[in-house]
Amino acid sequence: MTTQPLIVLEGITKHYRMGDEIVQALRGIDLQINPNEYVAIMGPSGSGKSTLMNILGCLDWPTSGRYVLDGVDVSQLDDAALAAIRNRKIGFVFQTFNLLPRATALKNVELPLIYAGVPPQQRRQRAIAALESVGLGDRLRHKPPELSGGQRQRVAIARALVTEPSLILADEPTGNLDSKTGEEIMQLFERIWREGNTVLLVTHEDDIARHARRIIRIRDGRVESDHINPTPHVVEPIEQQQ
Amino acid sequence: MKRWATEYVEVLQSAVESLRANPLRSLLTSLGVMIGVAFVSLMGWALRSLDAAWEATLSSLGSDMLYVDKWNWAGGGNWRLLMNRKNITIDQAEEVARRLQSADMVYISADSWGRTIVHADQRASGVVIEGTMAIFGMLPSTNVAEGRFFTEMEERNATAVAVIGDGIRSTLFGNRSPIGQVIRIEGRPFRIVGVMEKRGTLFTDFLDRMVYIPLPAFFGLYGRYSRSMTIAAKAQSPDQLDALRDELTGIMRAVRKLAPNAENDFSINEAQVFRDQVANIRAVIWGVGIGLTALSFLVGVIGITNVMFVAVVERTKEIGIRRAVGARRSSILVQFLCEAMMLCVAGAVVGVIVCSALVAVLALALRESAAFLLPLLPAEIVLVAVVISIAVGIIAGFVPALRAARLDPVEALRYEA
Repeated sequence: MTTQPLIVLEGITKHYRMGDEIVQALRGIDLQINPNEYVAIMGPSGSGKSTLMNILGCLDWPTSGRYVLDGVDVSQLDDAALAAIRNRKIGFVFQTFNLLPRATALKNVELPLIYAGVPPQQRRQRAIAALESVGLGDRLRHKPPELSGGQRQRVAIARALVTEPSLILADEPTGNLDSKTGEEIMQLFERIWREGNTVLLVTHEDDIARHARRIIRIRDGRVESDHINPTPHVVEPIEQQQ
Repeated sequence: MKRWATEYVEVLQSAVESLRANPLRSLLTSLGVMIGVAFVSLMGWALRSLDAAWEATLSSLGSDMLYVDKWNWAGGGNWRLLMNRKNITIDQAEEVARRLQSADMVYISADSWGRTIVHADQRASGVVIEGTMAIFGMLPSTNVAEGRFFTEMEERNATAVAVIGDGIRSTLFGNRSPIGQVIRIEGRPFRIVGVMEKRGTLFTDFLDRMVYIPLPAFFGLYGRYSRSMTIAAKAQSPDQLDALRDELTGIMRAVRKLAPNAENDFSINEAQVFRDQVANIRAVIWGVGIGLTALSFLVGVIGITNVMFVAVVERTKEIGIRRAVGARRSSILVQFLCEAMMLCVAGAVVGVIVCSALVAVLALALRESAAFLLPLLPAEIVLVAVVISIAVGIIAGFVPALRAARLDPVEALRYEA
């Protein structure tokens, strides 16, 4: 049985207009990512990896090329359809956590389900389950300012997981954390991957990228290298707290 | 459909939360709407009270009554001309009453204004002494609260009995019963046999300061020819008023011996004469009210638009987050519209509460002098005020909400305050 690739990128380019100049952020990217891969996209700043992440995350449109996510060509979809794709198929984890500061952890995790139209009771149950799975079952009522950095990122991960998306897209997920906490977050990603999810890390840190099983390097808007990580840094996942 | 419902319930909740996050700012922002709603409510209340006063006037004077008088009640016409009119004498009045055919009831009365009456050591001034007939007591609009009206026998015998108005009762007797007590009018003793119901209105507040005595007794006090008579005639039904007026005019002209080309030297008054006054007051309330209301809502719209623009900038990151987890542009639009609406509704609610309290206090404080004031805001006025405030919210919030909805999610996520 051949598996359908989760992500197919064909000749993706992205041009920006900056004043009079046209910046070519992506100059033709071809990629395939299969379900349940653990991929790191690496590149120095200015390489185009953020642009690529925005396109992969359906936050932005490519200038040209085709992007098929989970069998759907999303490069031609309108804003509302892309919002629906982001809602159902993509779970974002950001460097700066990007939680709503005034909402409780529970409410933050519920947010994607609200836009998915999940009824309140079911929403609550699923959000609680997601928070428990990242070990925050006892922090439901806490607001982000009352949580540590690691806890905030775990809330963000719970929010990414709660819709059971096809793709977890993590942009420098440990960038704002100390190395010990960062390591704990990486354990969490390891576990999430082992549970069958597709995890895509975007980072410029080798320390983070080495956890992934496949490393794609971007430079000057093109894929510089794409190889299987021969020596993944495996952190044994912490057991799920119930 | 259900999906939308789920989303919008949350949108409303989050709108309330973001208002509560900034209570002072919310309060100040919605001040314009608050004041606007207050003006709308007060205007509606004033108009409604005016209508009530008007209704009460109609029923106390009788909407089917005509009053032939030397004076024009509405105050129209040249005052000096009216002054020079000859008094309607009792003989003329009796002649008119005799000849009149289409009236259901006729009576003659005479008034003496600004008298002072005495009971024991109490005095009441500004009293209107009215000499009238026993039939007056039988009119449907004449309601005796305590005791009775004087009888035809008492009228014929010029018995010294009096029926006093509610205002006089409270001045002279407080809470005691005045029945059987004696008051002195022009030094002569009159025995009180009845007290009228309170019937004064905004336009006819003097009604509660009246003392009714038999017409012959009135003549005994003031003489038979010293004052101009009023002839009151009741039509068989309100739509017979015009016929009655025509007949009265004809008889009056004949009795007064007017030349065919001479103007009437009398006025035929009716409760409707107060209608112009009502219309004038109404126009003033509308003019002032609408002006002030429009101004406050304009201020409200500007203030809310301004604050919503600030809110959109402040919450750029939040917008980015919401967009990233699946909010459509329309969701963001609706969210910010809802917030602007909630601001307005909150303002409206405060405005209505403050006004209700104000109106209740006013009505209570002025229950003697302005009984026509309603103690409550009319419900539909409150509804109108809230609907207007929602509309104001949508108008004020639309442009900022559109700006929020159009934010690029990538830019919004990158935004740092």
